[in-house]
Amino acid sequence: MFNRRQLLAGAAALGGASLLPSLAHAKGSLVATTYPGSWEDAYRSVVAPMLKKKDDITLDLAPLFAMDQIGKAKAARGAPPFDVFLLDPGPRIVAIEGGLFDKFDPKKLSNLSKIPDGFADEYGVCVSAQVVGIAYNPKKVPKPTGWTDLLKDPWASRLGLTGFQTTFGTSSIIEISKQFGGSLTNIDPGLVELKKILPKVAAVGLPAAMPGLFQQGQCDVMYTNTQTVSTLKGKGVDIEFVKPESGAIAFYTTMHVAKGTEAVENAYKYLDLVIGKDVQAALTPEPYNFLPVNKDVPLTPDMPMKSLDEMAKYINHDWAKINPLRAAWIDKFNKEMAK
Amino acid sequence: MRSKLAEWQLALPLGLAFAALFLAPLLLLVGVSFYNDEKITQLGVGSWSGFFGDAFNYKVIVDTLLLGLKTICTTVVIGYPLALVYMDLSPRLQKVLIFVIVMPLLLSVVVRTFAWIVVLGREGVVNSVLLGLGIISEPLKLLQTELGLVISLTQIEMPLMLLPLISVMSRVDPNLRDASAALGASRWRTLFTVILPLSMPGLVAGCLLVFASSTTAFISQTVIGGVRLIYLPLVIWQQALVVYHWPLAAVASLSLMISVMTVIAALSWIGRRSGGYVNG
Repeated sequence: MFNRRQLLAGAAALGGASLLPSLAHAKGSLVATTYPGSWEDAYRSVVAPMLKKKDDITLDLAPLFAMDQIGKAKAARGAPPFDVFLLDPGPRIVAIEGGLFDKFDPKKLSNLSKIPDGFADEYGVCVSAQVVGIAYNPKKVPKPTGWTDLLKDPWASRLGLTGFQTTFGTSSIIEISKQFGGSLTNIDPGLVELKKILPKVAAVGLPAAMPGLFQQGQCDVMYTNTQTVSTLKGKGVDIEFVKPESGAIAFYTTMHVAKGTEAVENAYKYLDLVIGKDVQAALTPEPYNFLPVNKDVPLTPDMPMKSLDEMAKYINHDWAKINPLRAAWIDKFNKEMAK
Repeated sequence: MRSKLAEWQLALPLGLAFAALFLAPLLLLVGVSFYNDEKITQLGVGSWSGFFGDAFNYKVIVDTLLLGLKTICTTVVIGYPLALVYMDLSPRLQKVLIFVIVMPLLLSVVVRTFAWIVVLGREGVVNSVLLGLGIISEPLKLLQTELGLVISLTQIEMPLMLLPLISVMSRVDPNLRDASAALGASRWRTLFTVILPLSMPGLVAGCLLVFASSTTAFISQTVIGGVRLIYLPLVIWQQALVVYHWPLAAVASLSLMISVMTVIAALSWIGRRSGGYVNG
């Protein structure tokens, strides 16, 4: 049911990845983080071989969610356990505040002109965009139309929930809350509604556990990003993505060079490759469905948007406002959801 | 005197390693817990008072300890009879049984935990069989319940119970059982007055290991139990790696350590006491 990579990803996501890196500072190597699941699959099978071929750099991937990367980097205090971060907007701000990035020089990227203006700055470079919405199993439940459907039957009793540990979880609960009078900074109405249906909810799990729970039929509807849906689909799971009627959430995913790394040159070569046409074109079609940032790579017809210009039409959350509240939200989620 | 000094010196490498790798980080942990803020700049007892000023955390501590005790109960109930069976087996079958017992230890706990998702899930083995036999009409909810978690922890922790138990029980002189029977004791009386007291050190050692391991089994607790069942390891992980409030994470870690060690001390005390009873 689970292959070795998935299990490793699970273990790493659950905190076992501390042993992974450190080996890799030999010449011609690079340790980069990646998200467990679809990102790891894609980077391991597509990007790593390309980097080896083009620059003779061995890419070691440490599968970690964004928040875990920050935790490990902070714990390592100046001796980063990896050379490149892969982050969402919220953790990116935390890392900037914590001084975890090397000052980034976009001019070192030969592909800089191929990405839209403003996609690279003094902190790092955008490598993809993510769209978050609702995933459901079309063989088990009807197609939901919006966030409020998740709280009604037949979906509520088949719903898989996660909390505020990840960007997609936080964004989704914010959107649910908005449907009930909440706002970007007020998630209480959402939690009140979720608590009402809690006794019948199918699963409340850690983010890393959700794809596995969906695959095993433990839950048939959940909030997640488009890549997770593509990956599960690629594995033969009955899953479809729905853009909620109130709008799907979109955000950019960025990469950053870790402060204190000895592999700065390799890191730039890696980032240059990642935003380059070859990698972007390889990751855009099925089964990866990554939204490309390279202007030479067109979006595919089944993607949630036709071009990156549409990002503005999607819901964007201001993470500078969310971050200070998140610790209290996590605490609240624990208490409201605890049995 | 000279030999004593030599013995002392022999223990030095381990002692130094212990000091560097265990004691120093532990002191650091204690130190970090006495900061009020997540940036670790302001000394104080704010994290301690914050943690223990919240009634929810008491519930988490109690639930964590109860989980350990429940796992002890199930591993003893299933493991002890197995150890009794082991005593009566031929040496060859004993080797087979030992292999079967040790085998789960050769698998990563992650693999064992994910296997339990497949077994306990809504469309898992247990539900498919029960549904197929017509015993139930709706799938049972086993995953993300404490029952499911205790079932899986019982299997996951079983070697830790059985290995010390078997090692102690195999040293019990078989003649004692015959002597007890010859003196007219029933099998049950022999079990409770002869075998059980003599196996007590192994039983207590097994309980200690199972307790310490199950209360800290973060992966099993979160993957099988889900996040509605909140135990201390989840709180520590969230504070340390999601919220980055290290002082609070340190307080939670120390609370876990102290509460688990208290129960372990109580169990060892029972063990020593029963040992005295046997010898006296």
